[in-house]
Amino acid sequence: MLECLVSLESMSLSSMDVSVLERLKWLQQQQQQVLSTTNASPELLQFHGTNNDELLQNTFSHFQMLGSGFGPNYSMGFGPSHEAMDGCISRTNSCQMDQADTVGVMLNNSEENITIILKNKRKSEVKTREEEKTEKKIKVEAETESNMKVKSNLSNTEASSETSKQKSKAASETQKLDYIHVRARRGQATDRHSLAERARREKISKKMKYLQDLVPGCNKVTGRAGMLDEIINYVQSLQRQVEFLSMKLAVLNPELELAMEDLSVKQFQAYFTNLPVVVASKPSLMVDAPLFPLDQQGSLDLSVINPNQATTIEAPSASWETQSQSLYNTSSLGFQY
Amino acid sequence: MERQIINKKKRVFSVEPNKIPPSEVFTRKYTSLLVPALKKLNMNKNSSQVNQLTVKHEVDMALALSAQEFAWSRFLLQKLSSSNNPTTTTSSSSNGIRIQERSGKEGGHEDGEREEKLRELQKLLPGGEEMNVEEMLGEIGNYIKCLELQTIALKSIVQDTT
Repeated sequence: MLECLVSLESMSLSSMDVSVLERLKWLQQQQQQVLSTTNASPELLQFHGTNNDELLQNTFSHFQMLGSGFGPNYSMGFGPSHEAMDGCISRTNSCQMDQADTVGVMLNNSEENITIILKNKRKSEVKTREEEKTEKKIKVEAETESNMKVKSNLSNTEASSETSKQKSKAASETQKLDYIHVRARRGQATDRHSLAERARREKISKKMKYLQDLVPGCNKVTGRAGMLDEIINYVQSLQRQVEFLSMKLAVLNPELELAMEDLSVKQFQAYFTNLPVVVASKPSLMVDAPLFPLDQQGSLDLSVINPNQATTIEAPSASWETQSQSLYNTSSLGFQY
Repeated sequence: MERQIINKKKRVFSVEPNKIPPSEVFTRKYTSLLVPALKKLNMNKNSSQVNQLTVKHEVDMALALSAQEFAWSRFLLQKLSSSNNPTTTTSSSSNGIRIQERSGKEGGHEDGEREEKLRELQKLLPGGEEMNVEEMLGEIGNYIKCLELQTIALKSIVQDTT
């Protein structure tokens, strides 16, 4: 389990390590860009390599080896990756504020960062302290603890707010032009409620952005209500699919013994190199032909397949396509036996 | 219990353990759990038909066991183990615990709508109602991912048997 958490964080690390630099750069360009990230995504890759070393020195140096391996997989990150992201932001921010202005980087999932930048620019400087501590916690425990940590660290933010004030003075002029409704942190030592409130809202919007990436078709819908609608529909349709499939399975179960042997590892490896296409135990079977790229894997272990299955291999690809189409068309639950 | 034993037996160790994408781990675990469980079901219930609910139960159980690092899986396990009548994940519990949110500084209407939907989302997620909103949103993300993987795994199993 620790391993899993570590690996999950590292997934987001490589993509998050530049987030702080680009965040401050973002302040200056804020008016132009609202939430569109498509323009900037190519830029990310350019800076990824150059800033990697500098940032990683101050952040997760021990994650470095893992980070590269998980770069492309960030989109499959799970919950804890959010906090790792925050941690990245916090550490790099506190150490390298000067570079921020010179770097303009966009992350693929920088939508989340943009909202952070747009809404929490000043706040995040204070928040970094909080999250810095939260991030350490995450390595060991679930991410839910971070919420408590935020509140417990509010007292620390008072002291840190002054230091962050001085740091932010350089960028303060530009900040005044921003539309950020977050009031200046200077002089606001107390008022923990609004701090917590902002932190909370920030996190929520960040997660919404993440979900937006996850749920297909969410990009077209603007506004939280619409997005939430999409997400709800998507989850419901997924659950219905599972139910439908299990119904099918219940009917087909008697034949299960004949068909299924132990699925070999190779099958899944091929699956995951080609994104979500599951290679079944039979070499010619492909799933979700209309939605995912088809890939033939000729190197499957034919020895795995039970000789009894030979008769069932004949199923033509057409039936799979119609099956998979119907599966994704939840409105028409057609049983195909 | 047996399922957990099966899970342990089928644990896959790779040469570079850190580099297995979690989705692969999940799918492996899932199928290695589900298939033997279904076979066992088959063998045990020779006479009576395999109930659809029991299959659903197995499916949910496999899902929960394959994704134990997430909070929702614990809730799902709880649900499954406590009730013998398997509660399907699609049926939303009618009046769950409603977590009151402090409305933000935005307009009341907009926020109310949003909170309504958040609550709906909470119902969909197993154990979602016991979490606060932020946590729930994070969990929803990986729940969606696991559901997708589960769908794909189930499809491949189904297609194997046809």
